[in-house]
Amino acid sequence: MNDSESMTPALLLEVSDLKTYFRTERGTVKAVDGVSFSLLRGQSLGIVGESGSGKTVLSRSIMGLLGRSNLIREGSIKFNGQELMGLSVKEMRSIWGQEMSMIFQDPMTSLNPVMKIGRQIAEPLMLHLGMNKSEARLTAEKLLTDVRIPEPQRRLNQYPHELSGGMRQRVMIAIALACGPTLLFADEPTTALDVTVQAEILQLINEQRVDRHMSLILVTHNIGVVAGNTDVIAVMYGGKIVEKAPTKTLFSSYKMPYTEALMRSIPKLRQVSHTRLATIPGRPPDMVNPPLGCNFAPRCAYARPKCLVEEPELTATENPEHVYACFYPVGSPEYHERKLELSQRVDSLSTKGPI
Amino acid sequence: MSHDTATTSVLSGSLEPETDAALHKKIGWGFWIAVSWVIVITLLAILAPYIHLRDPRGYFVELNGSGRPPYGPSFKHWFGTDKDARDVFSRTLYGARISLIVGFSAISFGFLVGGTLGIIAGYFRGWLDKIISFTFIILLSFPSLVLAIMLTALLNRSLFTISMILGILSIAPVGRLARASTLQFSDREFILAARQIGASDSRIIFRELLPNVVIPMSALALLGMAVAIVAEGGLAYLGLSVSQGITWGSLIQIGSDSATTLENAPWIAFFPILLLFLTVLSLNFAGDRLRSHLDVKESSL
Amino acid sequence: MKFWMQRVAMAILLLLSVSALTFGAMNVLGDPLFNILGPLAGDVNNPKSAALIKEVKAKYDLDKPLPVRYVKWLGDFATGDMGVQFSTDGQPPVSGLIKERVPRTMTLLVMAQLLAVMISIPWAAITAARAGKRSDKISTMNSFFLLAMPNFALAILLKYIFSLKLGWFPLTYNAMDPYFERLRQIFLPAVTIALPAAAVYQRLLRTDLITTLQQDFILMARAKGLSRSRVIFRHAIRPSMFSFITVVGLNTGALIGGSIVVETVFRIPGLGSTLVESVLREDFPVVLAIVMLIASAFVIINVLVDILYSIIDPRVRR
Repeated sequence: MNDSESMTPALLLEVSDLKTYFRTERGTVKAVDGVSFSLLRGQSLGIVGESGSGKTVLSRSIMGLLGRSNLIREGSIKFNGQELMGLSVKEMRSIWGQEMSMIFQDPMTSLNPVMKIGRQIAEPLMLHLGMNKSEARLTAEKLLTDVRIPEPQRRLNQYPHELSGGMRQRVMIAIALACGPTLLFADEPTTALDVTVQAEILQLINEQRVDRHMSLILVTHNIGVVAGNTDVIAVMYGGKIVEKAPTKTLFSSYKMPYTEALMRSIPKLRQVSHTRLATIPGRPPDMVNPPLGCNFAPRCAYARPKCLVEEPELTATENPEHVYACFYPVGSPEYHERKLELSQRVDSLSTKGPI
Repeated sequence: MSHDTATTSVLSGSLEPETDAALHKKIGWGFWIAVSWVIVITLLAILAPYIHLRDPRGYFVELNGSGRPPYGPSFKHWFGTDKDARDVFSRTLYGARISLIVGFSAISFGFLVGGTLGIIAGYFRGWLDKIISFTFIILLSFPSLVLAIMLTALLNRSLFTISMILGILSIAPVGRLARASTLQFSDREFILAARQIGASDSRIIFRELLPNVVIPMSALALLGMAVAIVAEGGLAYLGLSVSQGITWGSLIQIGSDSATTLENAPWIAFFPILLLFLTVLSLNFAGDRLRSHLDVKESSL
Repeated sequence: MKFWMQRVAMAILLLLSVSALTFGAMNVLGDPLFNILGPLAGDVNNPKSAALIKEVKAKYDLDKPLPVRYVKWLGDFATGDMGVQFSTDGQPPVSGLIKERVPRTMTLLVMAQLLAVMISIPWAAITAARAGKRSDKISTMNSFFLLAMPNFALAILLKYIFSLKLGWFPLTYNAMDPYFERLRQIFLPAVTIALPAAAVYQRLLRTDLITTLQQDFILMARAKGLSRSRVIFRHAIRPSMFSFITVVGLNTGALIGGSIVVETVFRIPGLGSTLVESVLREDFPVVLAIVMLIASAFVIINVLVDILYSIIDPRVRR
């Protein structure tokens, strides 16, 4: 890595107005509805949202991994300066595994149950890097060491069911890293794992990202997961990015009431135990017939009539890297006004109760 | 998250987009065409002696210089004649009689015996179940045609014995299914309720279990009838079915016995083959449709 | 280990039951004395015939009770002594006939099974990858037609088209011809048996493949950049093979049934056509030997399938 490169990092991925719709019997599901963002080489981006927010579809749509029947995919995806939209599956295959790779959510089901670990890791090495069997085996062993699996040589000859969940996720990371991709997707990489190993896996992914100078897109429903592990966070709701900011900025001055709700759902150490975690009332929007105005308005405590009929655009704060889509963001006079009303209502409720 | 199922199925590259549609499909016109064919062929078989067909055992040798039989299909002999100048059309219709009677009685016998044994095994369980299930396993240890051939060797080959033999073959498959669904049903509330109010075993079996176990198996009856018809055809082809009888299998055997006959007069074998094929196809198709139709009803309850 | 022991014990129990049933049926429903002597067997009042009857009874142990005869017969059978052919002059031993005919039927069955598997796997792979599309629907219809065609009818049809009209395959089997020539003669009969079997296998494998193709690890394999065929053949086929293997094994019974008919149509002097001939000639020792042999083979194959199943699925093996 030379200095000039590190000073002006190159643009790796530029997604503009990406739309991904599915035709179903119920109608067209607008899973991703006009998403734009860019990612620098070596940068890491967290995509956060509830299940059904379109975050998984977004990552698979960028990678081009969605089945093609009943799919509508529009917009532009520039990767390393190359337009990916419109490439055939055959052309994408030389990118998959080699340039972009993905760590899936469930290590229990994402490894082939009847194929030895060694072969599963060696497969992309032999395919993309043209290694022969013994070279691939040596590299696979080294990869297992990199992801800190003990006794790597023995593991190569084992089947997935002989390994623990955390181990399997490490194997999956090893497979994803095998051909030295420049962009790594991690789709809920820790959701299926025990709490105790979650942090280790996240740390491992992050270390490997730094070591290999990769970019990372980390998809999760848990904003706490991305907190210490990404440079930028994008919050997704109803198939759209509703707020995006550098991680620190987002945590200190989020603008969207939805982001606020997500923040409140993180357990905090300082809280008294048995404090109820805030949950967001209501359900994510119907993506076949999305609401007319802001997608979040029907569930938003701060929504006003305007929110129900007009859709807010992404606008920048004084920090150009911090964008949000809300008419009455956190900190606005309307927000405070409503907040006061709400707290009064709660107070009146509690004073009325029998003491 | 109402759209979640749809999205996930698309996400995983769903390869059967019409599964949902298939579930809601009606039984379809194909089913009715198949059933119509079965009804038509059955009626023709029943009415064969009364519709002024040519005598199936008569010899229609032409003396006007059309040469030696077999004669090809013509206005006079729709399906042609065999090399003894017998009318293939009327023989094929008469042949349907034995094939259909055997097919029908075999599967009825199989349902009666196999169904009863299966329900008894599934209802009483215990040692009775063990004995009956083991009997089924033994019966299934013979390739069915081999068992049929062995039995035909030992018995006189009448319409009755051939039907019984093929019926015996269907005992085990029918019985196993009946046992499995009885096991499933006897744990349901209505059976438990009947037991609690003191209903007798025979009452529960006949009033509660029988209709619930047998009706879903009606689709199997159609498939089983097709299997029995094919088996009878095979036996007849080998010369081991009803002796002296005209059946589709024996007609096909006559038509394909020598290579010269088959080459020069293919119609003798091919017309019975066509009717046999259409009948088996219809039974299979109707059975298959009925099965998925009943399955859907079951699952939508 | 316990699982295997159970399987083997069950197989032995089944073999005993099957043999008892076959032997019992032959001797109770049939009349061995009549088979040996013909009408003479009923002529008990004639002292000359009576003496002959007595002699034959002693010779073939017919004067002993059934269970004793069963045990003796079973012992003989197990050691390869299957009695003599009554209907052939000089009454040669049955075992000689069996030894001559078994390899032909085995060749036919192995060839048929190989063809069926070789046809069904790519067929299933292609239709599963295109499930719901037109080519898949046409294939489903084709296999429906194929399965509605009784095997003897299919045999006649293929014989008519490929042997008589096109002349691609020889019409007859000749046991004197060299080995490879005989393989060619057996090819069309094997195809006859294989086609419906392939249709059954394809249906099953297609369904299982469709299920497998929706698994996460298939997406993972695609994300590695593997080609479509590599994803299907390297990743999807093997985990989809479990019920396929069971059915291929269990279907051997249907194949044996098919071989009886097909051997008769194509005049191959194998086990099946010999069984039919012997039934027609009422040569019961031959019938008994062949039925026993086939039923035993069938029972043993079923056990082997069970064991093979546990080998192919590493998750069961533990």
